[in-house]
Amino acid sequence: MLLEVKHMSLSLKRAGKYSKILDDISFYIEQGETLGIVGESGCGKSMTALSLMQLLPEKARLEGDVVLQQKNISKVSKRKLEKIRGNQMSMIFQDPLTSLNPLQTVGVQVEESLILHTKKNKKERRERVLQLLNAVGLPRAEELIDEYPHQLSGGMRQRIMIAIAMACEPQLLICDEPTTALDVTVQAQILELMNEIKRETEMGIVMITHDMGVVAEVCDRVIVMYAGKIVEEAPVIELFGNPKHPYTQGLLASIPKLGRRKEKLGSIPGTVPTPGSMPTGCRFADRCPHVMEICRSVTPEMIQIQKSHQTACWLYDEKEGNENATTRSHELEAALHN
Amino acid sequence: MPLLEVTNLKQHFTTKKGFAGNKTVVKAVDGVSLTIEEGKTLGIVGESGCGKSSLGRSILRLVEPTEGSIKFKGKEIVGVSAKEMKELRKEMQIVFQDPYASLNPRRTVRQILEAPLIIHNIGNKIERKELIEDLSGKIGLRKEQLSNYPHEFSGGQRQRIGIARAMALNPKLIIADEPVSALDVSVQSQVLNLMLDLQQERNLSYMFISHDLSVVQHISDKVAVMYLGKVVEIADVAKVYDTPIHPYTRALLSALPVPDPTHVKNRVILEGDLPSPSNPPTGCTFHTRCPMATKECREIIPPLEEKESGHFAACIHV
Amino acid sequence: MDALRFIGKRLLLMIPILIGISILTFAISNTIPGDPARLILGPKATPDGLEALREDMGLNDPLYVQYGRYMSGIGQGDLGKSTYSQRPVVDDLLRYSPATIELTMFAMFITLIIGVPFGVISASRKDRIADQFTRIFALIGVAMPAFWLGLLLLLFFYLKLGVLPGSGRLDGGMSPPEYVTGMYTVDALLAGNWSVFYSAFMHLILPGITLAAVTVGMITRMTRSSMLTVLQSDYIRTAFAKGAPENRVLYGHALRNGIMPVITLLGMAFGHALGGSILVEAVFSWPGLGQYAVNAINYLDFPAVMGVTMLIAVMFIIVNLIVDTLYFFIDPRLKHS
Repeated sequence: MLLEVKHMSLSLKRAGKYSKILDDISFYIEQGETLGIVGESGCGKSMTALSLMQLLPEKARLEGDVVLQQKNISKVSKRKLEKIRGNQMSMIFQDPLTSLNPLQTVGVQVEESLILHTKKNKKERRERVLQLLNAVGLPRAEELIDEYPHQLSGGMRQRIMIAIAMACEPQLLICDEPTTALDVTVQAQILELMNEIKRETEMGIVMITHDMGVVAEVCDRVIVMYAGKIVEEAPVIELFGNPKHPYTQGLLASIPKLGRRKEKLGSIPGTVPTPGSMPTGCRFADRCPHVMEICRSVTPEMIQIQKSHQTACWLYDEKEGNENATTRSHELEAALHN
Repeated sequence: MPLLEVTNLKQHFTTKKGFAGNKTVVKAVDGVSLTIEEGKTLGIVGESGCGKSSLGRSILRLVEPTEGSIKFKGKEIVGVSAKEMKELRKEMQIVFQDPYASLNPRRTVRQILEAPLIIHNIGNKIERKELIEDLSGKIGLRKEQLSNYPHEFSGGQRQRIGIARAMALNPKLIIADEPVSALDVSVQSQVLNLMLDLQQERNLSYMFISHDLSVVQHISDKVAVMYLGKVVEIADVAKVYDTPIHPYTRALLSALPVPDPTHVKNRVILEGDLPSPSNPPTGCTFHTRCPMATKECREIIPPLEEKESGHFAACIHV
Repeated sequence: MDALRFIGKRLLLMIPILIGISILTFAISNTIPGDPARLILGPKATPDGLEALREDMGLNDPLYVQYGRYMSGIGQGDLGKSTYSQRPVVDDLLRYSPATIELTMFAMFITLIIGVPFGVISASRKDRIADQFTRIFALIGVAMPAFWLGLLLLLFFYLKLGVLPGSGRLDGGMSPPEYVTGMYTVDALLAGNWSVFYSAFMHLILPGITLAAVTVGMITRMTRSSMLTVLQSDYIRTAFAKGAPENRVLYGHALRNGIMPVITLLGMAFGHALGGSILVEAVFSWPGLGQYAVNAINYLDFPAVMGVTMLIAVMFIIVNLIVDTLYFFIDPRLKHS
């Protein structure tokens, strides 16, 4: 196992008091696997990424364990952490323009990881930088290393970010909405590049996104988050074909699909609860079409309902792997007849 | 007669750049012609810098068009006086992208919704109150919530308030500039549903501007695809999405990530990035990225022609 | 060359600014009631004598003629004759201004080496003790009147401890180094005369600190707030994500970005210090432009007042031009836009 996250919780100090942003998150990634973390704004997906990198604001309280290649990185010193970041694991951010230093040339910024983590001399580093720029599909690398971020287009900047992240051949790459700020045609190029990287390396990738299309394109397995908790986890085909949690179902139903026009879309009524005013029991209860009494009082645990398909919902029963509410079984029967 | 008829509209901006202050002309909208029928939706789709937002603002004369004609209900509105324009704005409203920035934070929702009615002298106090409460019911707000301030609402609710404000004067045409781009999908669908309901109920026309191909497809009757200030393809939604003609439209559609992991991808990946609108390529502006480009494309500016019945595209190769 | 064109443009722009300033000062100094001729000749002057002197000084001509004469003089490098010192104003300015420039530059130097690091430390230790301390220190600097601080420093370091000299530019009996720039520390270094350098330097310390107190406060606060903004930015997060240690992030990435607004403020601080030097020079009997200006005003010495004003305006404009040019070299975005 490449990465294992065990019972991770995160609290941030806001207006004088701590409120829980992430609540008991556990998941893992195998080598060569791409794990999607999907959810809407405020679900805690970006904070999950920053927690993995331990790049949190000063007044943050992180509990639980993050184990990268058998090493518990949530317990190591600052100095050791610096040796891991950018070396064994690195990160790509949403906005490539603001994520690059405007006053440094491309070459200097790509080179920095090499200075920090390798013993390469100046000439070797330059070679590696050129090689990296070529690998991420940037033309005329020789000139590019002396240019500044503002001279480049959005797509090129994101390629530079990828080059920076790839510089030391990390085992784990965390991507936080890497294509959200880009135009569709450029997004397609970057996704293509990501898929190429996937094929060529044995890296584990965490792909954080709100875009179900991106999930379907690049991920092998998906975690769905809602209000700071994981509500469902499944292989990508299983998740899209057989979503179990009512939130996942609602999310998928609300996406406009090509070929269907002017139809009513599914939507989820209400809004996401905010940290600090989380309801007891299931956090989705207030917006759930299948809400039951138990949902409002007891928090559902993640249960295995099929091989490698887990969800946290009272509609399902672990042993049988079937829905336990009577209404649902009727529906199921009806579906079987059709 | 179409509700709105735009002919050869141009919107050029002059900017000064750098220390030396060199003047550059950005042709944000460069000769766009289109029509919107009553009760129908025209979707405008394109990537950043294609001029779709400028087009919307130009049509409402929020910025003065450089050239061209805009006819609303058969009447020319370019050059009409500010007083006449005020009357016209009753029938043409705009909804903006950012529901956080476009509502005055110091006004209650009731005040926000009442403002356009007061400006245009509509009804007395009691009638206005009724109108507002009727509207707020449509967008799913309770009466009590009318005395709340914008910050007390979620993004989706705020966008619905923005739509209600645009609806207050019972307009014929709403120009919606990326109205759902700032919203999460589950909330986005609420707003789209609301817009479709209102359209049916009031025979409204929309000009729906968005970069999101699937959203545009979902709501539009007719779609115009823009690239660097020009319309490259315009036709009924089914034609554009099912049998696209222009190579840019084809690439755009194939670039869209499909939320279906079993979907077989047959992707046209475009080379390079969007050129800067301040320094567009010669000839067909798409030739730098076009897989079909030939020498002629660098020289000839392709006209928007009817390639098939009711299906217009600007390309010399199709 | 965009940079050269830019500088050239700014230099041309100086001309109308200077003309504006000259008209303003000329008009103001001539509306002040008082008769320079009477001041020169004293109470026992005869009406005929006064009239002859006025005629001689050109005071009887219409104002615009006087102004035209003055401006054509400037064109030839002549700022007129000081009615008080009876020397050409240009000579006086050359004699007095180096002392002021030396003092102001020294104060700016103190401002930079204290204000910027304090601001950086304050920002990187936000809300901790070091931050609280620097913020209070900066507040005191901004709030304390210069003459009061000057007197306190004199009392303590000169009278009580006797470790630093209290007035003038050199120890008594020491003769100034050969005139090159007029700045004693620089000239002493050029002449290789260490004892004069040491004395000149020691004399700079107390007035320099007094003058710098306000600007140190200004720069510390600006550096702090600018660094805080920069430290929040995405590229700082990127640097941390690369595994860069805190100091490398702070000084390698954040400082260069954060220093930009500080440089602009430094230009303004220079102007502030030039103005402030008038008071400080009085406290420390520093024979500079400030003292000269005060005398000139007391004796209604119009050519001298005009000369000082014009010189300060020119210095201020040049410093700000340097600041803007620095931007050009620090921020590559300006070069390519």
